[in-house]
Amino acid sequence: MNNVAKKLRIQSVRALPRRGAALLFGGRRARVSGPALVISMAAVAFSVMVVSAGPTTASETSVSTAPADIQAGTILYNEHCSSCHGANGVGSVKAPELIDAGAAAADFYLETGRMPLNNPGDQALRHEPFFSATQIRQLVAYINNLGVQAGREGPTIPTVSPVCDVHGGAGNVASSQAGNYGFEGAGGAGGVLGGHGSGLCTTLAEGQQLFSLNCAQCHDASGSGGMLSHGDIVPSMKDSTATQVAEAVRVGPLPMPVFGPNQLSDHQVSALANYVEYLRRPADRGGLAIAHFGPVPEGFVGIVIGLFVLLIASRLIGTRE
Amino acid sequence: MTTTNDPSATDVPLLDDDEASAAEEYGRIHDQVHWSEGSTPQADDLWTRYADDPKRAKRSEYLIAACFFVAVLCGLGLMIVYCIGGQPQAEGTLLFFAFTGLGVGFVLTARDLLPGNDIAAHRHPHPSTPEQRSAVVEAFNRGLEPLLSRRVLLGSLSAAGGVFGLASLFPLASLGERPGTKLEHTSWGNGIRVVDRFGTPVKLGQLSVNGVMTVFPEGSIGDDVAMATGQTMLINVGNADFQVDPFHNWTVVEGAGQDMQRYVAFSKVCTHAGCPVGLYNRASRQLVCPCHQSTFDVLKRCNPVFGPASRSLPQLPLGINPSNEFISLESYQEPIGPGFWNRG
Amino acid sequence: MSTTEERLAARKRHEVEETVFGELDDRLGSSSFLRSAMDKIFPDHWSFMVGEIAMYCFVILLLTGTYLALFFHASSTPVIYNGSYHPLDGVQMSEAYQSTLNISFDVRGGLVMRQIHHWGAVVFLAAVSFHLCRIFFTGAFRKPRELNWTIGLTLLLVVMLEGFTGYSLPDDLLSGTGIRVVYSIVLSIPLIGTWLAYAGFGSTFPGTQIIPRLFVIHEFLFPLIILGLLTAHLMILWRQKHSDFPGPGKTEHNIVGSRLWPQYALKSAGLFMLVFAVLSALGGLIQINPIWLYGPYNAYQVSAGSQPDWYVGWLDGGVRLWPHWEFRSFGHEIANPFFPGVLVPGIVFTLMFLWPQIDRRIYHDYVEHNLLDRPRDKAFRTAIGAAALTFFTDLTLASATDLLGNDFHMSFERLIEILQYGAFAGPLIVGAITYKTCKSLQRTRAHPIKRPVGGVIVRSVDGGYHTLGDDHGHGADHEAHTNGHHTNGATTNGDSANGHTPEVVPSAPSATSEPGAADD
Repeated sequence: MNNVAKKLRIQSVRALPRRGAALLFGGRRARVSGPALVISMAAVAFSVMVVSAGPTTASETSVSTAPADIQAGTILYNEHCSSCHGANGVGSVKAPELIDAGAAAADFYLETGRMPLNNPGDQALRHEPFFSATQIRQLVAYINNLGVQAGREGPTIPTVSPVCDVHGGAGNVASSQAGNYGFEGAGGAGGVLGGHGSGLCTTLAEGQQLFSLNCAQCHDASGSGGMLSHGDIVPSMKDSTATQVAEAVRVGPLPMPVFGPNQLSDHQVSALANYVEYLRRPADRGGLAIAHFGPVPEGFVGIVIGLFVLLIASRLIGTRE
Repeated sequence: MTTTNDPSATDVPLLDDDEASAAEEYGRIHDQVHWSEGSTPQADDLWTRYADDPKRAKRSEYLIAACFFVAVLCGLGLMIVYCIGGQPQAEGTLLFFAFTGLGVGFVLTARDLLPGNDIAAHRHPHPSTPEQRSAVVEAFNRGLEPLLSRRVLLGSLSAAGGVFGLASLFPLASLGERPGTKLEHTSWGNGIRVVDRFGTPVKLGQLSVNGVMTVFPEGSIGDDVAMATGQTMLINVGNADFQVDPFHNWTVVEGAGQDMQRYVAFSKVCTHAGCPVGLYNRASRQLVCPCHQSTFDVLKRCNPVFGPASRSLPQLPLGINPSNEFISLESYQEPIGPGFWNRG
Repeated sequence: MSTTEERLAARKRHEVEETVFGELDDRLGSSSFLRSAMDKIFPDHWSFMVGEIAMYCFVILLLTGTYLALFFHASSTPVIYNGSYHPLDGVQMSEAYQSTLNISFDVRGGLVMRQIHHWGAVVFLAAVSFHLCRIFFTGAFRKPRELNWTIGLTLLLVVMLEGFTGYSLPDDLLSGTGIRVVYSIVLSIPLIGTWLAYAGFGSTFPGTQIIPRLFVIHEFLFPLIILGLLTAHLMILWRQKHSDFPGPGKTEHNIVGSRLWPQYALKSAGLFMLVFAVLSALGGLIQINPIWLYGPYNAYQVSAGSQPDWYVGWLDGGVRLWPHWEFRSFGHEIANPFFPGVLVPGIVFTLMFLWPQIDRRIYHDYVEHNLLDRPRDKAFRTAIGAAALTFFTDLTLASATDLLGNDFHMSFERLIEILQYGAFAGPLIVGAITYKTCKSLQRTRAHPIKRPVGGVIVRSVDGGYHTLGDDHGHGADHEAHTNGHHTNGATTNGDSANGHTPEVVPSAPSATSEPGAADD
């Protein structure tokens, strides 16, 4: 196996067994005809979409609904958040309402330390989390409950599907099937891209294509971040976990746009999250990556290291007069 | 010519041709610039010479050999690395040490073991003698003068040159299509459905409030040029106060009051230099171009508010068909993208 | 070996050498040329080697480039990727992009070659720029070297374009964005812009022709031009001999340094090896242009932080800084990118090409110079140079406004505003400071050119001896010396303005050298 695959340290939670994947993709043994495969893929995609459409999905979430948690969350909220977000999350001039924010938003903002925010006017950026994991769970339960009570629930914490096994068979099979549909799309919500995984796992290739279309213009193709207008910073995603990425996509933390379930299916969001995970430690086969910021630091290094060293060499070879 | 084993001999043979004078001059110049008594060579001149010190020269030779030996080892290492599959960092490091060994070896050889520093030589004056210069002018005129009065010849030559010069430019026209009015058209038109990157029509409700999507005219997927010109940003601005054009309502509105969702569509091709304007700041409702930071205020019909762009992003007349799919009512009402001479 | 054996071996070797050179001379009459070539003197100052660094970078680029060209497919034909880089497995891309991925992941040693090539281009342009600055600040472009200045500037232009076309060949998302901007700049040219853009690209953007055409330009056209210009550059240098800094024993009519063979040739070969060493280290250890992270180019996607390579950065920065002015009337338009993209660089390069003429008129200096200026001695020229460098730096910084904003938590609106003012204020301030600094350095008469203890004895033609005094040096204020000391025309007899005959006195054991007939 080549060096690249070894370097791809992908966190697969449950990798499909090779044989299973081969069967699923119409692998080496069982060759399924192109159209039949397309139709079955579309069916899978469609069913995934149906199942995951709507704010509360049938898939498991880790949001607590225990009354104890909600109560503890209430106390924490009143102490730390209500001064800006108002009593019972109704909002104020300083901060938006949280009733329909959803568990995903609460979890995202709290886990990444974006909230609590010192000054309401500041942009919320990643920090060390202020609350402990338990407190976060309690606050999330509280916010989620607000939505449930009002009948306006926001997005729940998404579950990220794992990456498909990249070893040998599955990858090659998927790509050999890609020639059947490539770009053109096979219909069905969410579309089908080259190297498409099933509903149970995602491939990096589909994540890359979704990322390039929806995310790279703000976050940079390598996930290093960028700049928006009004001094709003687009953060780097080097520290983001897959779940946090998925949450951010659904929530659209200011100033990021919102990608709802009708625009990107849960499978696609998982693909994105997995690809961002990959970007945290991408295949830097060429050596030191200089922050993945592109030609600017590269030029700097070329001049300050490359030319400078050669000037020293010239100085040692030549004379000073 | 005497043969000698001494490499620092200043014996200069006289030569018979043009360079003889140079050699003569050269022969009169010392091999070394002699410093006045009591002085020392410049303190930071790194060059010393061991020509008169065989022991130090030998030591230097061994040092140089060690440098070359490093190159030998690295060369072998490179062969091994290649055979086992290659590895960029190993290859780079081995190459670095190999070349450094060779380079340092050469430089030390020149510095320590070879003569020839601090030599002075004459610079010849560049200009030739006045006689030579007038000879050139005379020779040139021999060819020019007889023809200067021959007007018929000169006239016909100019005509031939001009015509053929012009004719030689004609094949350049094969390089590309004629622009015509191509820059003014996209694939959008009356009733063309709005599709996403995979060709799936975009329906009402697919885009959340504060969501953006890159969309294309139906039928353009797979056609690079059509996708490049037709690329459009579909935005759901929710119930924000969008400045609707008084003459054209090119937006799609769903719901009312607080729950209103307004969909607008603008060309994604920046009117400055053509980059895709894909960055959406949903806090300030601005589209930002990453190339040169042109910023467009979406609520004011993508009017440029900062940066080098001077024209708004053209707005796509957006509508809905009976199946609740987005369609364009007409094509863009002005050429998309950057300006050009005939745009006005 | 005994001395006799050594002598016999040496004689044998000499006979062989004589035969070889003799055979050559029989056919080419080469002996005089070879002898004078081998004894040609090159001054040893370290800053003269930077041009060589550039040349060796070019040689390395040719070597690595040839290797890469054997694997690269310059075609926009869409293919589906099926190589080792799994995150792009099954993705549609152009053949050009796919072949570059192939070189990077599936060809042994391919990535190192590619990275050495790209780092080579980066360092090449850095060396050329440094070399240009050295020539400018030391006045080496003065007569008789104006032609070489012109050739050198043309080389700079062509090499910049060569670099641009080179990194655009892989057809990745980053370089493709740059191509889109170039298309728009060409479009904006009045009258002929649309035609030029369609001729160059074959169609409306993006088309399928630009990658194959860039390949022809990058592999064939420009390397030929660079080779030709470089050869002319070196031939003129050979003919005119290298200029040199003033110093003891150095005059306008001699040249002091090492012989080409063996000294200078070996030092130069050593430098070549070291250039290769540095480029190899960069190429293997520091990643450059990881195209696999950008993905293949298409016209509706873009990456944040899209900048060109550093040497084109000033153009990109200029485009970002230029205010949003466009001119429309009578159905015609001069679009915004024309001004910073065509007009400003046009003016800048025209000024640079004309600089020897401008410099001549500023200093009323029409004579030939083989000795260089110290920058402080030409305060105005040095100030202009420093101002120009400030201008380019300001514009280069402007090309990174989004990155700088992200790093320093500043809005790009504010950064751009600062840099807009800085593009004017910066050069003025730096120019003024430089001018003042040069003047005060002149006044201190601090002379870094080392002199031998005890001075240098000079013998004049009538037999008198004197010690070379301070008037050899360059502490004087050069602005004040204009017409008085300069003679037009040939200096065939070597008469210097001070009246000393610059004949080199042979054979005397004590110090002799020519008085400084340098310009002052």
